[in-house]
Amino acid sequence: MNYPVWEVGFGAGFLIAAVAILHVFVSHFAVGGGLFLVLTEQRARRQNDVPLLDWLKAHTKFFVLVTVVFGAVSGVGIWFTIGLIGPTATSNLIHAYVWGWAIEWVFFFVEITAALLYLYGWDKLDARLHAWYGWIYFVAAFASMVIINGIITFMLTSGGWIKTRQFWQGFFNPTYFPSLAFRFVIALALAGIYGLITASVQKEPGLKARLVRWSAWGVVPALAVLPVLGWWYIRAIPADIWASARGPIPTATHYALSAVILLGVTFLLAMLAFLRPGRMHLVFSLAVALVALGAMGSFEFVREAIRKPYVISKYLYANSLYAAKIPGDGGFSVDEVNDAGILKVAKWIQRRDPAKDGPVAVGREIFRVECESCHTADAYRGIKHYLVLRQWDQNELLAMLGSLDLMHNGVMPPFVGTDAERAALASYLITLRPVSVTSAAATDGKTIFDQNCSMCHRLKAGQPLFKSLARDPVTASKALKDLTSVSPLMPDVRLPEPQRIALAEWVNTQRAGSAAAGGSQK
Amino acid sequence: MMQPDLIPALDPNPLPAPYWVFKLLLLVTFFLHIIAMNFMLGGGVLALVLKWRSGKGRGDDQMFLDVAKKLPVFLPATITLGVAPLLFVQVLYGQFLYTSSIIMAWPWFLVLVFVTLAYYGFYYVSYRGGRERSRTGGVLLLSVILVFIVGFLFTNNLTLSQVPARWAGKYFSSPQGWSLNLSEPTLLPRYLHFFISAVAVGGLLLVFLALARWKRDNAYARQLLRFGGRSFMYATMAQFIVGIAFLLSLPRGLRMLFMGESLWATVLLLIGIAASIGAIVLMSQALRKENVRAAAFQVPALLAVVIGSMCLMRDILRDAYLKPYFQPAQFAVSTQGSVLLLFLALFLAGVLLWGVMLKRFFAGGVVYQQQSSR
Repeated sequence: MNYPVWEVGFGAGFLIAAVAILHVFVSHFAVGGGLFLVLTEQRARRQNDVPLLDWLKAHTKFFVLVTVVFGAVSGVGIWFTIGLIGPTATSNLIHAYVWGWAIEWVFFFVEITAALLYLYGWDKLDARLHAWYGWIYFVAAFASMVIINGIITFMLTSGGWIKTRQFWQGFFNPTYFPSLAFRFVIALALAGIYGLITASVQKEPGLKARLVRWSAWGVVPALAVLPVLGWWYIRAIPADIWASARGPIPTATHYALSAVILLGVTFLLAMLAFLRPGRMHLVFSLAVALVALGAMGSFEFVREAIRKPYVISKYLYANSLYAAKIPGDGGFSVDEVNDAGILKVAKWIQRRDPAKDGPVAVGREIFRVECESCHTADAYRGIKHYLVLRQWDQNELLAMLGSLDLMHNGVMPPFVGTDAERAALASYLITLRPVSVTSAAATDGKTIFDQNCSMCHRLKAGQPLFKSLARDPVTASKALKDLTSVSPLMPDVRLPEPQRIALAEWVNTQRAGSAAAGGSQK
Repeated sequence: MMQPDLIPALDPNPLPAPYWVFKLLLLVTFFLHIIAMNFMLGGGVLALVLKWRSGKGRGDDQMFLDVAKKLPVFLPATITLGVAPLLFVQVLYGQFLYTSSIIMAWPWFLVLVFVTLAYYGFYYVSYRGGRERSRTGGVLLLSVILVFIVGFLFTNNLTLSQVPARWAGKYFSSPQGWSLNLSEPTLLPRYLHFFISAVAVGGLLLVFLALARWKRDNAYARQLLRFGGRSFMYATMAQFIVGIAFLLSLPRGLRMLFMGESLWATVLLLIGIAASIGAIVLMSQALRKENVRAAAFQVPALLAVVIGSMCLMRDILRDAYLKPYFQPAQFAVSTQGSVLLLFLALFLAGVLLWGVMLKRFFAGGVVYQQQSSR
């Protein structure tokens, strides 16, 4: 709203994810791979192992071509991309942390120079001097991780920064150390995984077997300790932030599951490499890398998903809205926009008058500035998909928009703006619903629950739903008639009586101790 | 047409150091970036010329390889030295640069793709240059074209960031980010000004190579000096035409800054012109006398003065364009003393270490030189 919104047809969030995941997969290799290079060189020199040295020389070339070229450009690429999609967040991160970035740049500069000199030094330098460049490279690469990790974790757990605005308070935040350890161990594992790739193209089986075993030894122990570090990481995340990873919001839960599974598969594949190390095929090593990429991507998705609705925890929402009014926010905080109206405050919209431009066109503009940082109309996180799933009509949609911040354990920012603006947004969104969907009222309780309640309510013993809803379907149905009188936070969804009764009857079957739930009575 | 309220508001964070600190860092790092970029792009263009002329028995092949092998070093140098000014320009001018970038989002995003491809192309040419001759020319051409396009996109974005009056029309006609700034009158002369400066500096790259090979292979080094020195001279002469065209394409109010209205801007322009003429004269003398040391030390020293004054003029021009929308006083300042000191200490240590790394490398034997001329 302060900046124009770039309309990416297939989803802005998807583009950031693609660039970021490819980058981290290479940048972590750049850290771990540095240590791998110097340790392998040390071993080869000590044992006077010429074939190992020759391989390492070729591996260095591969390393530089992957990390110095793709790694460096895609790192700049993240800057480009977040500047295009989240300029407000980027601007905040730049102004609050420019000296962190500047320090990181110094390390980056040393790192790139050392990498190139290490590569070109293979034919030129004596062993000690060559290793010296290798160590400088590794230390500089690790140091740049030390810095970036502070800023990335700050976004997830902003620590004391919210109150004090002190650089170090945000930098050394609650997840700083677990994340650093976690990422460093991932970096070590990746060093071995990339090692398998260049090892697998070796012709001579004896050498190949040694290289594969050596590389796999980099992967297996690292992956074995990773779950412990992951547990530490999760423990460090404040409960309210972590809660969204376990709630009904599918993204974080799904990706957490896939991260664990893919990590396990990577581990098994790395163990398999020990079985026939001399016969390992390039395809196998690429498969290991691909699975590891999936695991790494899933982990980053979980981190981003549990960070939602914020892009900077407790400070800035994913759609560039400040969570609380602060001096210098330009009028873009939740309260200010609610008071003034989004159509008055937003800079980069053209159609501001529902009466003149029509509510649909105006709603489209509101969608652009409030929703498009994460959603699309019908592609990535497409609204169309949700409308098919939930079967809402315009009134329900309008009611639901009022409770966005309660849905899915609070993964979304609230809708901001006036009631008329909310109505305009609803009238646009309903146009995304396919014509084939007709709100033929569902008759079975489960479907009614899924479509109307499941965004906020969970079927667990002790949940307010079970506690406050009467067991008698008719009494319950009366209470459900006007949800806002149950709680002012609830959306004003008005279901017809048969639906309300069916819903209440089905909820009874889900109560702890009921036969259908299969749970034990407490 | 003008919608001043379209200009994005700053974010709530104060500047973590006084304004001038960032301005200074921006100017210094941009200066270094542009020099690295000139070596890379100019080297690429001259390598292409040498490749195209080769086969006529004038050592062109050898010169081509000599230059082409340096490209995979100058491209990362350009990127690495470009990250810093990109950071500092965002600190001061983010409101403008983010907006113009979003308006031309896809072309701006494609910069990354093009740079990556050009980079791999340079590596290919450097590794395969001596072997598969037929293909290296094509790959080099493609890489240089990609770098050309990247430069053009940068010129588009930087000029667009300076004319907020044009933003709304462009954004609303293509919120998908497929705009450029082609209607900008200064676009082409400005772009050519940068491009030709790259060719001149690329010429100096050959002069430096001549200096390094002067004793070992004098006949070849003299060829390098001749070709490099001439490229430098002709390109610098051409700058007078392009530079005047650039000046004339500026809006009158801004042009007059450099023609007497602002003493500082006018003096800088005069210094730039005088130093360029001096550099041309020195180079022609150095070529006549085959004085490689003069060509490799005195000319670059003068050229550094030229590039320095051009960078300052570029900055004056930007601030003049943005004057209605941007005042340094708009920033609140709250210096992060401890982090700033840490940065300065690490920066100094980094520069020192960098120097030591290069020194030890080049003191470490001659094996590499033999390899590269194999």
